[in-house]
Amino acid sequence: MRKLSPLLFILISLASVVRGQSLSEADIKNLLARIAERRVSSPDVRADFQEQKTMHLLNKPIVSSGKISFRAPNKFRREIGGSSASITVSNGRDLWIYYPNFKSAEHYTLGKRSPVDAAIAAINTALNLENVEKTFQITGRKVATGYELQLLPRSPSVKRMFQKFDLLLNSDLVAERTDMVQPNGDRIVTIYSNQTRATIPGSTFEFTPPAGTAISTPLGR
Amino acid sequence: MAQRRLLVWFGVAALAAACLAILVTRIELDSDVINMLPKGFESVQGLKIYDRDFEQTRELTFALRCQPQDVDKLEEFGPIFAENLRKQPWCDRVLAGSPMETPDGIRDLQWIAIPLLLNLEPAAFEQTISILQPDKIRERLHRLHQQIEAGSPRPEFELAFDPLGIIGPALKPFAEANAIEQEQPLTSPDRTMRVLLAVTNQPSLNAFECQRLMRQVNIFRARASDGWDGGPLEVLVTGRSAYVAEISLSMRYDIVATLGSSVLLVGIIFFIGFRRWLPLLGMGFSLLLSCLVALAAGLLIFGRLSMVAVGFCAILVGLGVDFAILIFGRYQQARFDGEEYQQAIATSVAKLGRAVFFGALTTAVGFLALILSGSMGFSHLGVLIAIGIFFAGLFMCTILFLFVRPRQAPQRPDWVFEIVKKYVRWSVQRPAPMIIASGGILFLLTVIGFSPVPPLHFEASARSLEPKNSRAGQALQAIMEKMPARWEPVLAIVQAGDAEELHDDWQKISSHWAALQEAGKIKGFSTPAPLCLSPIWMEKNREHLRGVNLPTARQTLEETLSAEGFSPDSFAPAFKLLDDLQAVIDPRATLPDWRTQLPKSSSWWFLVDRYFARNPLLTTGFATTNEPVTTHAQSEQLDRDLRVRGVPVILSGWSYALADLQPWSHRQLLIISALMALFDIGLLAILYRDFRLWLIQIITLAFGIGAMIATMKLLSLHLNLLNVLSFRLVLAIGVDYGIYVVLVWQKTRELEHDVAGVIKPVILAGLTAVSGFGSLGWARNPSLSGLGIACAIGIFWSLLATIFFALPAMAAAKPKVWSGR
Repeated sequence: MRKLSPLLFILISLASVVRGQSLSEADIKNLLARIAERRVSSPDVRADFQEQKTMHLLNKPIVSSGKISFRAPNKFRREIGGSSASITVSNGRDLWIYYPNFKSAEHYTLGKRSPVDAAIAAINTALNLENVEKTFQITGRKVATGYELQLLPRSPSVKRMFQKFDLLLNSDLVAERTDMVQPNGDRIVTIYSNQTRATIPGSTFEFTPPAGTAISTPLGR
Repeated sequence: MAQRRLLVWFGVAALAAACLAILVTRIELDSDVINMLPKGFESVQGLKIYDRDFEQTRELTFALRCQPQDVDKLEEFGPIFAENLRKQPWCDRVLAGSPMETPDGIRDLQWIAIPLLLNLEPAAFEQTISILQPDKIRERLHRLHQQIEAGSPRPEFELAFDPLGIIGPALKPFAEANAIEQEQPLTSPDRTMRVLLAVTNQPSLNAFECQRLMRQVNIFRARASDGWDGGPLEVLVTGRSAYVAEISLSMRYDIVATLGSSVLLVGIIFFIGFRRWLPLLGMGFSLLLSCLVALAAGLLIFGRLSMVAVGFCAILVGLGVDFAILIFGRYQQARFDGEEYQQAIATSVAKLGRAVFFGALTTAVGFLALILSGSMGFSHLGVLIAIGIFFAGLFMCTILFLFVRPRQAPQRPDWVFEIVKKYVRWSVQRPAPMIIASGGILFLLTVIGFSPVPPLHFEASARSLEPKNSRAGQALQAIMEKMPARWEPVLAIVQAGDAEELHDDWQKISSHWAALQEAGKIKGFSTPAPLCLSPIWMEKNREHLRGVNLPTARQTLEETLSAEGFSPDSFAPAFKLLDDLQAVIDPRATLPDWRTQLPKSSSWWFLVDRYFARNPLLTTGFATTNEPVTTHAQSEQLDRDLRVRGVPVILSGWSYALADLQPWSHRQLLIISALMALFDIGLLAILYRDFRLWLIQIITLAFGIGAMIATMKLLSLHLNLLNVLSFRLVLAIGVDYGIYVVLVWQKTRELEHDVAGVIKPVILAGLTAVSGFGSLGWARNPSLSGLGIACAIGIFWSLLATIFFALPAMAAAKPKVWSGR
């Protein structure tokens, strides 16, 4: 058997340090328990985000940025600025997407296994992680700034939404980066910054369309 | 006959051989439960049409039911099961989920978009096709791009489904017309049940084909859970073929169980009464021959016999044995009186032949009255029994004596006779206590029977016609329990002469039903209107399409995609759609038809088959009512509301038809039973020519019927559409016991000898009739068992009323001096 080159040995050792320490099943359970504790003690999260969406429909990725407010388990408000501004609000039952530029809004009812549930599931998975171990097979490792988790869907219903879901958590156990690949190949990378756990007013998660707004229900329910 | 026994035997053998030959060469049984319903109703005809001509009757519904902890496993296993199901050689198509949730389902809709687009109302078509104007193409794609950037999920699925913007409007009428159908989920809310629909390729729907199919299905079902690693998994199957296979197989059980138990009970009673084996055998042989003759005659008359008619054997045994008991009882008495073999036969036939003839006549008329029910099944039953009962009467007066040994010593009076004699003596000498006691009880029961409280419930649901312990029925019930409640809609069947007429009819119906829905008179509806192509509209729209500059639209699309940064590959369906539109512009091209464009394997056929029969001009629509249809008033109101002037439509559906039949059923109960009663009353008047005896007999009959209804009320036995027929049978049979007793009472001079001599056979005859009808209770066919139980109760009370009321009443009204030997 040939001797392992000292240089190669050093490279492999370095690489393993850079990659971080893999988490065992018990570690992941422990981590999820800590996340759950944090969620109970401070259910609200607010952050800035930057999103890059690569779609098969478009030649170039779409880049957008804005603010997101989230309250466990399933309420959120997402505001995108710029020329294609929008406000997306969910109270856990209904989802509103309001386009100020068009003075129009879309209304969706959640939990009907519609395509829009996939988008909601992505946000909930990233910012909530409640019972995530039931729907995903989770592997991960500890890195310098926090934890990297790889989520592989278990059930066909989740497989219809995600092909894979990678999540980077900071040391405060809040999402810092998510990388989601959908079954049709579309990919969404979201980077979160300025995360805080300050309390958010409940009205943030309610939405009433401004007067004169054209409202549509694209899925008819 | 007694002198030429050999000749009679030859005659019997020849008759039996002829009947067997007819039976073997012609036997054909009808197992269709719809044929149990009267045929003179449009709603029943509608059921038959739907059952016969629509592909949906070849549909089997599979349900997978798991434990709550296995719901995720079931979700993964569902597609595996569906794939295995698709591979079965008897399976044509499988629907495992909403077609809209699968890429294939969306693609199939895109394929049929052109004919449906051309079939739009011309104004709607013009508005839709204006989307192809260059400005509108540019404006739409720009707007969708902006919405994508704003984060809306809507443009993504809009562009995936309808990249050009004209498929949505083309399919809008289709989507609106089928909203109700699409709301029907295939997974239960708690996710423990998944439903899959499979269309089979069975060549016909007859009983044997259904049995063959279900054997294959059961083999598949036995290994259907291969690959399942969760807890208990149930694989349930229901559907028309499952029902037909079960019903037809249960026929075998019904024949064996009812006939076997009837013969056994009747045999026991006969033996207790006479303690003779050979006459018992002769009675059995005569009855069997009667059954055979009736069956052969029935096949010659009807060609094809209803399965319910198989129940006639058990009834015939129970009724025909009456004659044997009476005739043989009288023969025994004559022998005991010292008469020789031949003389005793002559005495027996001479004394009781008239009673047997009238008994057979009233019973036969009662059963023949079943023809008035209009139900094929019960008509067959009635005619077979009427024929059988006449032959039974004839054979009991002839063939039975072939089994009686001339030199056998006469039977000495037994304990049964002694008890009967004591009772007759007591009730004749002191009739008042018995009249008061029995009359009081029977009167009370009659009051309960005819009073509105407690009510006698009438069951008009389809379940009252389902076989007992039916696996298909249990599967259906399990599915109904798990799935969100939605009751059966009313069917509207429309047959047109040509495509344009069909289109026009459904357009009128759809707009009328939309107004009804708007007014809150119906909950919703779904119709084939968008799929009924109008050659006139399509030609007009094609003409308009010729004015649209499609090459410019194509060029604008290419330029806009490039300008907005869309990937042209993702818009390939849009370019294909433009090519297809270009192709249909050619006036020489035939107008497109969605039937030829929808792939044979498409899941949308499940929806299409709900609307279209194999003949595409025969169609059905569905109206969902605000509440389940259970009363005739509802069916009448629906009949007024749903019809459209000038459009011939048949309204049907199981719930609707059963509600529609309620007056028929009540008519059967009241009018036909009343007619039977009138016949009996007239016959008795002619026969007795004595007002007091006649009145006693009428009161006895009323007591019998009243006590029967009271018993049904107290035992919570519900009336249904079919067991209402039992009342006329009870009248027909119950009157016989009175005839036997009254005719003897009128002529007798030796009460002990004659009256006690006839009361014993009447008791035995009544008990055998109760046994014969009661045996039907074992039948799995609810029509047979319900009829049998109701008749057994009625005959039991008629017998008691005759013995304990009519006899003492006659003794009081027409006193005779007791004289014994």
